[in-house]
Amino acid sequence: MPATIDTQFVDELLAATRDVFKTMVFHDVEPSSPMSGDALRPGANVVGTVAFAGKTSGLVVFYSTLEVAQAITASMLGVEPTSVNGELPDAIGELTNMIAGSFRTRMAGVRGETWAISVPTVTVGSDFYTKYVSDVQRVLCPFRMGQAELYVELIVTRSAGQ
Amino acid sequence: MRFLIVDDSSTMRRIIINTLNKLGHQDVQEAGNGKEGLERLTSGPVDMIITDWNMPEMSGIDFIRAVRSSATVKDVPVLMVTTNAAKDDIVEALKAGVNSYVVKPFTPETMREKIEAVLPR
Repeated sequence: MPATIDTQFVDELLAATRDVFKTMVFHDVEPSSPMSGDALRPGANVVGTVAFAGKTSGLVVFYSTLEVAQAITASMLGVEPTSVNGELPDAIGELTNMIAGSFRTRMAGVRGETWAISVPTVTVGSDFYTKYVSDVQRVLCPFRMGQAELYVELIVTRSAGQ
Repeated sequence: MRFLIVDDSSTMRRIIINTLNKLGHQDVQEAGNGKEGLERLTSGPVDMIITDWNMPEMSGIDFIRAVRSSATVKDVPVLMVTTNAAKDDIVEALKAGVNSYVVKPFTPETMREKIEAVLPR
């Protein structure tokens, strides 16, 4: 297994995330340098997860603070952030689903791989982190949406790029 | 013109409704899955169905097959909005009776073009 995830995977995930935010959240997001490593723990109160499986298997994970997730939800729904109540988990789940789905489509185009993806799960809380089994490769992609910070992580459980 | 949106995500239903509103369409009904969609179709005529693929209770594909086998609504145009973009998925949807296909994420312009493409002339 390679030490790091193939840059093509990262590039397509970055492009998928930017496309989803531009068209469905109506905000541009600007990526900064992706980070690799097993000990990455982005501070987040909201975590959306979608698994994918095929020749390559893994997870696409969205992280943000509750405040940023509320702003994203409000923008998707076309309402004020103060109006967001119980809609947040569904909105963040749909956002993660679209990022993972767009990533899957892009990878099918460039590599010809066909993946199945799971329904999204969303965790909302505080003082928690997600620990994965050791046999994974991870790359964490930070984004800025205005002054807000959010992250999208790619976790690959099988060989990426081999 | 009346639309029926069938999607288990309330967020996606709202996004599609907002998009339709921007395009000048105000008469929109909603359903959370295919089974609810079939129930809505018995309560009044619709001019176009916009449905998701992956839903609980009854999937979008099963819903479309049920629509196409119905005596009363079999000719209603159906637009599928989904993240399933593989060729096999599109072929399966077309075989089930979808008129056109929108891959998420989408722009209002894409939605407008797809709606206009499947409307009866």
